Amino acid sequence: MDVGEQEIFLEGHPCVVVDRVRMRYRVASSAASEANAEETKSRFLRRAVSKPNMVTVQALNELSLVVERGESVGIIGRNGSGKSTLMKIISGQSKPTSGAVYASSTPIMLGVNAALVQDLSGDQNVILGCLAMGMSRAEVDEKFNSIVELSGLEKSIHLPMKSYSSGMASRLRFAIAASVDPEILLVDEALNTGDAQFGDRSKLRMDELREQAGCVFLVSHSLDTIKDMCTRVIWLDKGDLIMDGEPEVAIKAYQDFTRHLSKGNNVSAAQILDDAKANLVATEVRGRSSRRSRG
Amino acid sequence: MSADSAIDPEPVAVQPLSVDMRRLTRVGSRPNFLDYLVQLWDFRQFIFYDARARVQSGTRRDRLGSAWLLLNPIFNGLTYFLIFGLLLKTSKGVENFVGYLVVGIFIFQFSSGAITSGARSIRNNKSIVQAFNFPRAALPIGANVRELLSAVPLVLAMLLIVVVLPPAEEITWLWVLVVPAILLQSLFNLGVGLILARIISRVHDVTHLLPFAIRAWMYVSAIFYTYDRFVTHPQMLAAIKLNPLFNVIDIVRDCVLYARVPQWQSWAILVVWAFGALAVGMVYFWKGEESYGRG
Repeated sequence: MDVGEQEIFLEGHPCVVVDRVRMRYRVASSAASEANAEETKSRFLRRAVSKPNMVTVQALNELSLVVERGESVGIIGRNGSGKSTLMKIISGQSKPTSGAVYASSTPIMLGVNAALVQDLSGDQNVILGCLAMGMSRAEVDEKFNSIVELSGLEKSIHLPMKSYSSGMASRLRFAIAASVDPEILLVDEALNTGDAQFGDRSKLRMDELREQAGCVFLVSHSLDTIKDMCTRVIWLDKGDLIMDGEPEVAIKAYQDFTRHLSKGNNVSAAQILDDAKANLVATEVRGRSSRRSRG
Repeated sequence: MSADSAIDPEPVAVQPLSVDMRRLTRVGSRPNFLDYLVQLWDFRQFIFYDARARVQSGTRRDRLGSAWLLLNPIFNGLTYFLIFGLLLKTSKGVENFVGYLVVGIFIFQFSSGAITSGARSIRNNKSIVQAFNFPRAALPIGANVRELLSAVPLVLAMLLIVVVLPPAEEITWLWVLVVPAILLQSLFNLGVGLILARIISRVHDVTHLLPFAIRAWMYVSAIFYTYDRFVTHPQMLAAIKLNPLFNVIDIVRDCVLYARVPQWQSWAILVVWAFGALAVGMVYFWKGEESYGRG
């Protein structure tokens, strides 16, 4: 496919522009470095002062995306494919190793993993969290009841956070985050939170949010959810962008891929991956600061 | 995730896309300094709520509750009185040694507590930092407001001890000057806390050194002895008397114990330290704004 230098001109204002983002971590590996394995005389000293064996992990390879208003983007891929890394970068929780994310307003992530202040009670955490999102005290008071209702914590709202079960804490976290109406909404598997009753309630609120939001990013292991909700699907594998397009097409390819893998057909699975990659058209962002094109 | 694969696979096709970037801002970017101060002002309700809620919950675990806010410096004072007043007799030549000691310890303890909690505020609240987008300086400021709030009963107790314990001191109009002295001290604490908060967010090891540094600082601040007795070299004495905490303590002692109007030099030194530390601390902390809680 040769698209070459034919520049496409995008009218209007996009919501999110991911520009050549790449993420890499340096982490300690428990595997011994083989370089000085035999040298034993100062082993104790070395253990006390030396750094552990550091390994670079390539979590996300260079990636560019442009998401316009009204799009719902589903992100699919196996474990460790870089889905959550990409979400964290878009929401601003982690800083990419290189590249940058531009957004038309502050993206809000509805996660289930962030803890609040353990020593404070649930209701204090509600107020604190809302204030931390930039609400005024009056707005918080206005929304307080609906947040508590959404969290379903009832009387437990007055107990300290540290007495909460992990399900209760994540429900509260979701309810707080869902109290704003963000233009850019990121959802990381929040649908699987809590018991069935909360699931219905949170789904309702999420539908509301999605309708109001300018654009939505969704990570979920449930492909049905993604098929229902998204207008565009991105398939990541081992930090690489594999596919970016229509939900039906991308999900079908991904399902084929995982089916072959689970049967042990690694070769045919790799073939699907390569085919998808071969058809991929990567985006190159060229920023402009005018409404009209230069040429 | 693939380890150590530094080379990115080249995408098969690249589509240049011209995007209007005018309304977009980089996610997680640092605003300019004045905007940053304005943002902090917008988050004042968050700062005060955070401070208030945590004063209440800080000692909930203890049976005696908030009484520890008072008991702690009282026991401290008792210990130093036994060792330095009775055993080592550093009290020689000091008029009202008990009052001298109590003022020194209470005032110093306010600074050591405020600097420590300001310095640790980013590390200890990593989950809030990651979950919400707010100007990060709100946390060290909140920590200092909290310390200032809990210093109110502390100072009242200090004054009570001075009035009750023999030789009992008279209450004079000079006591009012304690308020501006402590406010200036608080600004100084905040400035130092901001600097340390950025350092500790990068190099956590510094938290282990902090108690030693503060203890050394305490020993040179003339809390249980007078400079005049041990330091004979005049230049040395002048240099030592530039210590901002010594100046606060000295001002409060003059006002409360000796009914003397504090020297203007002491005020000048304190004002320079307070605003200098605050200015340096704010700018230094702001420069690291993008790095807190990330990566």
